[in-house]
Amino acid sequence: MVRRSPARAGQLLADHDVTATSKRVPPTRQGGRIVCRGLAHTFVNARTGESVPALDTVDLVIEPGEFVTVCGPSGCGKTTLLRAIAGLITPTQGQVSCDDVVVRGPGKDRGVVFQELAILPWRTVRRNIAHGLEIQRVPKHEREERVAYFVGLMGLSGFEDKYPHELSGGMKQRVAVARTWAANPRVILMDEPFAAVDAQTRLTLQEELLRISIMSSNSIMFITHNVDEAVFLGDRVVVMTKRPGRIKAIVPVPVPRQERTVEAMADPQFVLLTDQVLHLVRGEVQ
Amino acid sequence: MRAKIAAGAGDASAGPQLRPRGSVTGSPRGPSRILPLLFVVPFLVIIAAWVLAKSAFGVSDAALPSIGDVIHASSQLIDWGILPYDVAASLYRIALGTALAIVIGVPLGLLLGTSRYGVIMFGPFLRFFRAVSGIAILPLLIIWFGFTETTIQVAILYTALIPIIFSTMVGVRTIPPAYRDAIETMGAGSARLIRDVYLPGALASIVVGIRLGVGYGWRALIAGEMLVGAGGLGFMIFGALQFHALGQIVAGMILIGLLYLVIDRLILAPVEDATVRRWGVQRG
Repeated sequence: MVRRSPARAGQLLADHDVTATSKRVPPTRQGGRIVCRGLAHTFVNARTGESVPALDTVDLVIEPGEFVTVCGPSGCGKTTLLRAIAGLITPTQGQVSCDDVVVRGPGKDRGVVFQELAILPWRTVRRNIAHGLEIQRVPKHEREERVAYFVGLMGLSGFEDKYPHELSGGMKQRVAVARTWAANPRVILMDEPFAAVDAQTRLTLQEELLRISIMSSNSIMFITHNVDEAVFLGDRVVVMTKRPGRIKAIVPVPVPRQERTVEAMADPQFVLLTDQVLHLVRGEVQ
Repeated sequence: MRAKIAAGAGDASAGPQLRPRGSVTGSPRGPSRILPLLFVVPFLVIIAAWVLAKSAFGVSDAALPSIGDVIHASSQLIDWGILPYDVAASLYRIALGTALAIVIGVPLGLLLGTSRYGVIMFGPFLRFFRAVSGIAILPLLIIWFGFTETTIQVAILYTALIPIIFSTMVGVRTIPPAYRDAIETMGAGSARLIRDVYLPGALASIVVGIRLGVGYGWRALIAGEMLVGAGGLGFMIFGALQFHALGQIVAGMILIGLLYLVIDRLILAPVEDATVRRWGVQRG
């Protein structure tokens, strides 16, 4: 990953302070607690009958308000894990619970930011961001207030009435992030959301995500194959083995998210951590 | 899709026609203002050929009427009140038939498109009935319903229904699964899913289906009117045959084509412009 320039990061943090004080932060729900017990999943090809094990006995707890990043080689079952927690697939074995309620399908307590573009082309930026709130029948006044807040926070001002095809890739992903946060789920699951944008935009989006995560109390699980990204964002980095995915190691990142700046990233402790995670992941790739 | 009429009318203009479509924003440069009018060219060519056949090769009035005859016949038909009556009858029938086909076809297409085995189970079935055109089932309909309005209506409905069901089904299948996943994880139920994802997502395809449906239905209508004989443009030109009124026949033919162009351009194209074109998701 490209190292951040100190000037840019300083400016972004300044923006953050301004936003935090000048606008009322909408109430965020207390983060949910996710517990995965003995989670395993095998895909069966409907045509050939061939079965591919994707996930192998994963036990993982995400504490309320925690930011967990999951890192591993391509095809290690990271996305399968996320989809099982989201309730989009039913795991072959084991179970997921969110705040002690067993997950049986998708629900508004677990929001997802997808890797591929999942904002709706027929809704404007404003209506995309408001979508979750519309589904929850949040009164119009409150809905507009929340949308306006996240539009401002994600730097989408002036684009509210644009359609997604009129936006750049980075802007579209900002809308997707804003949409999930606006709906205010207890847990937010992110599946390599910045994989498709260019390196420069990716940096900005990471910084924005860090900022938005500090200001809200949702629990976050973020999937990536990028080690720098995993260490920069996570309170803990879960490293997975190659297929079928198992948890290889969990590496805590002992720097509070509030203190993560370029300076902190250049700190020997951070560099060492990144190397450690990189080593773990590379051990799997070879 | 919009250039389809023009391109379909004359392949000679198909090449240059593609250009203005490429620039969606429509650059105000000179040529792009003239290019959309190119659709007139093939019409002018066929009219010129018509005049030439009459004047240079002396094709008799018994085989091909002159332009003057056609204009004369048209004004006569208007004066007698026959033409407005027949046009109204045909337009009413196509409007009713298409409306019914949309009301029945779109929900059925959504149902098939969203069910896991819908396409596998009903794909060939729909293709089969698409091949058995409305004209081919008219004899059967006449046996069932007699020489009645019902026969014409059922023929239009049947003909327009198949492409609408098919296109809706295909449209739903082409919606990225991530859209459904995304709104399901925001807590949406199936009513929301249909309203917010399936209907708008399939709309581009549905509009294509409706355009095809109206086109096929229009043909079935003319054939039905010829056989049933209860007024309408098909009845008019078929009736003119008995009097060998070639002017009336050709006038009717021109009107049949012209009315379809008007329906397509004035009703269906604006719908497309207001929705799928604005969203940047149009097909074709």
